[in-house]
Amino acid sequence: MTPELPDRYGRTELVLMVVDPSLLFAYWEVTSEGLREAQVALGAEMKGARAVLRFYDISLIHFDGTNAHHTFDIDIGLEGRNWYVHLWTAEKSYCADLGFVARTGRFHAITRSNIVHTPRAGVSARDEERWMRVRFVRRRKPDPARRLEFVLAPPFGGRLSPEELRALLERRLREQARLAAESAKGTSPGSLFQGSR
Amino acid sequence: MSPQTPQPMGYLCLVLHCHLPYVRHPEHEHFLEENWLFEAITDTYIPLLRVMNGLVRDGVDFRLTATLSPPLISMLRGPLLISRYERHLNRLIELASKEVHRTASQPEFHRLATMYLERFLQTRHAFTQEYGRDLVSAFGHIQDLGKLEIITCGATHGFLPLLNVVPSAVRAQVRVAVAHYEETFGRPPHGIWLPECGYYPGLDEVLRDAGLQFFFTESHGLLYADPRPRYGVHAPVFCPTGVAAFARDLDSSKQVWSAEEGYPGDPAYRDYYRDIGWDLDYDYIKPYIHVDGKRINTGIKYHRITGKTDQKQVYDRAWARARAADHAGNFMFNRERQVEWLAPAMDRPPIVVAPYDAELFGHWWFEGPEWLDFLFRKLHFDQQTVKPITPAEYLERHDVNQVCTPCGSSWGYKGYHEVWLNGGNDWIYRHLHTAARRMEELTRAFPQAEGMTRRALTQAGRELLLAQSSDWAFIMKTGTMVEYAVKRTKEHLTRFTSLYEQLRSGRIDAGFLKDIEEKDNLFPSLDYRNFS
Repeated sequence: MTPELPDRYGRTELVLMVVDPSLLFAYWEVTSEGLREAQVALGAEMKGARAVLRFYDISLIHFDGTNAHHTFDIDIGLEGRNWYVHLWTAEKSYCADLGFVARTGRFHAITRSNIVHTPRAGVSARDEERWMRVRFVRRRKPDPARRLEFVLAPPFGGRLSPEELRALLERRLREQARLAAESAKGTSPGSLFQGSR
Repeated sequence: MSPQTPQPMGYLCLVLHCHLPYVRHPEHEHFLEENWLFEAITDTYIPLLRVMNGLVRDGVDFRLTATLSPPLISMLRGPLLISRYERHLNRLIELASKEVHRTASQPEFHRLATMYLERFLQTRHAFTQEYGRDLVSAFGHIQDLGKLEIITCGATHGFLPLLNVVPSAVRAQVRVAVAHYEETFGRPPHGIWLPECGYYPGLDEVLRDAGLQFFFTESHGLLYADPRPRYGVHAPVFCPTGVAAFARDLDSSKQVWSAEEGYPGDPAYRDYYRDIGWDLDYDYIKPYIHVDGKRINTGIKYHRITGKTDQKQVYDRAWARARAADHAGNFMFNRERQVEWLAPAMDRPPIVVAPYDAELFGHWWFEGPEWLDFLFRKLHFDQQTVKPITPAEYLERHDVNQVCTPCGSSWGYKGYHEVWLNGGNDWIYRHLHTAARRMEELTRAFPQAEGMTRRALTQAGRELLLAQSSDWAFIMKTGTMVEYAVKRTKEHLTRFTSLYEQLRSGRIDAGFLKDIEEKDNLFPSLDYRNFS
């Protein structure tokens, strides 16, 4: 017989996970103490207050609770305990608070999530190059603290001018990226235990 | 490749990812899911070893990179599963012998039945005599000859981008795998196959700290890297940590992977789905299918793919072999043209990285190992443009590379995390993360445990690792054997939680501990402090 897992772990928490560049998954648990604390904090305003996830876009900043690029709220049912959140832009950093918004607009947070970074969904706009020499070590582990040696970028050579070659390589990269996006429909036939086609 | 060998115009890096989840059920005399291992040994691992040994024997200079995942190594080295494999193989030989008699009056089937019988007898001979029932050492031997580079994987193939909510879980997956590799092969691994190619920026720090020097990503892991990599997927980059990232080449992958346009779908090739386990009279086949009477694949298949039809034609061995040779020639031709096209714009030979699930070769694509055999022979004898290479050799020859941060990615459907995080399996993560956090808490609470406490901590680590296999989430998503995947996830988590509570309360149940130590017995020398 398959054992059942506990429904709750008795710990108030909110966890964010990345599904893809424009989708997050959030799961949470709120203990009765967590809820009571919110009731105390909001007092009479708790009546009619909405449970929300308040998301903060904290890309490339040190978040101090007030300096997010922007925020948005997702209404949740506390009992639902998880939710998928659709996003507009890739390559961002987010965290979220789980809390209550009173009718007056006052927000009380019960818990704050981890920070997640959504991946890029296309070719990077940055093209400044750095190059490094790293000596490969056979049959033993390299020292993790070894110094890394930056070196000059190799020249763009050959029959074409450096500018033409750079442009050619970029075109190739973008073409490959286009093909990669197309074939990301899934290419692997799966493992032994995959079902029949 | 000796330093004297002239530099070829380009390189081909073929990678086979050999992995199966840890499935071992001593509590049952017969257990259906153990067949995954048995089929993979017969269909894939032994044929691959035979191909490689044949190449060595004939002086063909080849290079192959292969993962042997820690669960797979543990199963291939486990006495119980090995003896069960022999039992399985003996049954198969018995069935093939019966088939030779049954088909006596049907020449085209008789030829095939005879082929299977000979093949299974050869397999048994190779397994017991040539390899001494130790396939891991047989792979290790080819590595010692410098032809094969064996790389490691996550300890139990945990999908690291989703375990990363508790970073110690990722460190443990990597550390335990590296320690297990060292124990198995007597030296550290040079590189790792990230489970499902799952990468996120920062993961390379964990790899560096574990002494790993390279890994692989899906194509867009490099194509979307930051800054833009000058040579796309056709040269590795160094992460800021100095760990090298190689990425999958699209063209070469598609030719082999794709069920529609790829080689394995050729009408001449053996059809995987048409199996005598389903076709033959029930009373006749009953002793060779599942003990509860459920029809299953036996491994004996007489038909070819034919086309999009249910009217399958009989398999023609000679024709299929000829097609495998054609396809190897075609693959080589395409790589030569590809390299000729890429090389003039580069200051170094381009590398074409072609990774595949090993079980495609031989299990799904019956002629796959022969294709590989033809390919390496043709590459060796017929041309000078493309040379096979391992990542280690490439990095020795080309130690200056661009510094980029690869993009978070995987090789699953849509290229990110959806396969392992969706409505069908998202419920597992709350429990997996809680268990990982609790394991870390235990390592802090018991920094120097001995005796029974240490055993309980070690077993808790094993249960956590087993629950983390990406295979369970994958199965839940794909929809076959779901019940088994759910059961395994819940069982390991429940065992973990019991141990956690017992350790916390100071009352360890010795009988319970002994029982699960016997059931979930991989990583015998696991160090629980890897979870800190």
